[in-house]
Amino acid sequence: MVLIGENINIMSKTIGPALKERDPKPIQELAKAEAEAGVDYLDLNIGPARKAGEELMTWAVNTVQEVTDKPLSLDTTNLAAMEAGLKVAKNRPLINSISLQPDRMEPGLKLAKEYDADVIALLWGAEGMPRDANERAMHTVDFIYKANELGIPNEKIWIDPIVSPVSVEINQVKACLEFMAMLGEIAPGCKSTVGLSNISNGTPAHLRPWLNRTYMVMLMRYGLYSAIVDAFDAELVKLARGEKPEIVELVHRIMDGEKPDFSSLTEEEVKYAKTVRVLSGESLYSHSWLEI
Amino acid sequence: MAFEIPKTVYTGKIKEIKLGQGDKAVIVGGETAYPFYLFEGEMPHPPRIAMEVYDCPPEEWPEAALEPFSGVTDDPVAWAKKCIDDYGAEMICLQLLSTDPNGLDRGADEAAQVVKKVADAIDVPLIVWGTANHDKDVEVFRRVAELCHGKNLIIGPVEEGDHKQIGAAAIAYQHTVIASTPIDINLAKQLNILLGNLGVPDELIIMDPTVSGIGYGIEYAYSVMERMRMAALTQQDEKLQFPIICNIAKEVWKTREVKIPETEDPKMGDAKKRGILLEAMSAMCLLLAGADVLIMRHPEAIKLIREMITELTTK
Repeated sequence: MVLIGENINIMSKTIGPALKERDPKPIQELAKAEAEAGVDYLDLNIGPARKAGEELMTWAVNTVQEVTDKPLSLDTTNLAAMEAGLKVAKNRPLINSISLQPDRMEPGLKLAKEYDADVIALLWGAEGMPRDANERAMHTVDFIYKANELGIPNEKIWIDPIVSPVSVEINQVKACLEFMAMLGEIAPGCKSTVGLSNISNGTPAHLRPWLNRTYMVMLMRYGLYSAIVDAFDAELVKLARGEKPEIVELVHRIMDGEKPDFSSLTEEEVKYAKTVRVLSGESLYSHSWLEI
Repeated sequence: MAFEIPKTVYTGKIKEIKLGQGDKAVIVGGETAYPFYLFEGEMPHPPRIAMEVYDCPPEEWPEAALEPFSGVTDDPVAWAKKCIDDYGAEMICLQLLSTDPNGLDRGADEAAQVVKKVADAIDVPLIVWGTANHDKDVEVFRRVAELCHGKNLIIGPVEEGDHKQIGAAAIAYQHTVIASTPIDINLAKQLNILLGNLGVPDELIIMDPTVSGIGYGIEYAYSVMERMRMAALTQQDEKLQFPIICNIAKEVWKTREVKIPETEDPKMGDAKKRGILLEAMSAMCLLLAGADVLIMRHPEAIKLIREMITELTTK
């Protein structure tokens, strides 16, 4: 699993002002901490950056590169800012992301081609969020077709099927899993990634890691290549690195229909088991899902 | 091979709860299939209709809604009796409009006295609906619960923010709570869990999914109620196996489409007929989604819904 640390984000209470005021310290400290936590890429989310986006991205990339040589995932919808970041990034950056909106896809893909960067294909179409696994498949095919036409091979495309919160729409949570199971056949050679933490959006903060970790392991079952994650969830990093094989195995067994006897499981295992039941739609989510 | 009609497989059952006390107490719930799917399961207790009574004379009601209650709208006891004697109400819902801190802001003691008077004057189950202002509702329902001990009132809305205080009063004085959440199935389940953790017994809980009338998002309420029943009946979700109550009348009668007189907009047609039909149709939608108790206003709308319930539950 390739892990992309999500923490440098304009929405953060410390990073937002630091980006705005061009204060390098909080950003560099966070970048160092993320690198030490063991993620592979650092996401640099500067938001839509409508004003002075190019200058901001250039500054942010240089600021982070002063303290780490981890490759960067440049996260903005502003294509001019994206290009500015690509120009100064030293270590093969990742474009996060290009959607299928007609006015965005082609210019975005041309950037990827020009700078020889990998690109995250956000399966967000002209009509917005895909409604099910089939629409995701359709968007994937359209994206790859266009990318190949412009000379970008499948190996440089990371498909992001868009994770939505379990407390909003369980069918979308299931559709994402279903799609991930199909992806290998639809798009041989393509990579994949997800904005993992979105699964737990709306859930009380201290409980979010259980949903994030479990959903990642469930997606891993279908070959998930990478995830954009909270770099400081050490357990999640362990799971991704194969250091907790018994948990991964348990989750996958439950996905295959096994109904484990909770009394034979450890407290930690019970939490994973309950979370699988919620994320597979077998049991309806509520904030107290771990207690019942 | 003969054609076989596909059948839904049900694994759960809605809990049966008793509302009120004495001869006129009613039982709701008990369903083992989707609403009115008598060909697939049981609906042992037909849905019930509670008639609205306000604890102060309503303002801004259209003429059509006031007319059936002419002469009693300033006296909740007389109003409740009229609903029972003249219109055959099998339940009453007393709306505590006067306690609204942004309105008359009547004190808890005075409001509770009115509830007690109504409760003593009638023998059908009494629902008492507050203002959804947490501080005020806590104050009012504590007094109401104590004063009406033994009546098994149905009190609410009880929300996450005041469930502990009102829930505790309900446990202490044996009343049923209306667990109310804002059109969200996950939050509905969560509140039921919290009430259970607090010690409110299952047989004292009824759910309010928050509803609105036709044209004002009834489809969202419908969808949430439908999913509640699917989870309860086909996924054995115990925390959603509760009867559902819908406070629909006030949502319908406050809308522009109901209130606007024909003289102002002739193409809208007769205002009375319009109001009655919008109330009846909204109520019918909610019945089909799984409502066990409907809070309604106009006797003509109620008559239409009663007929539909009878037709749909006759085997």
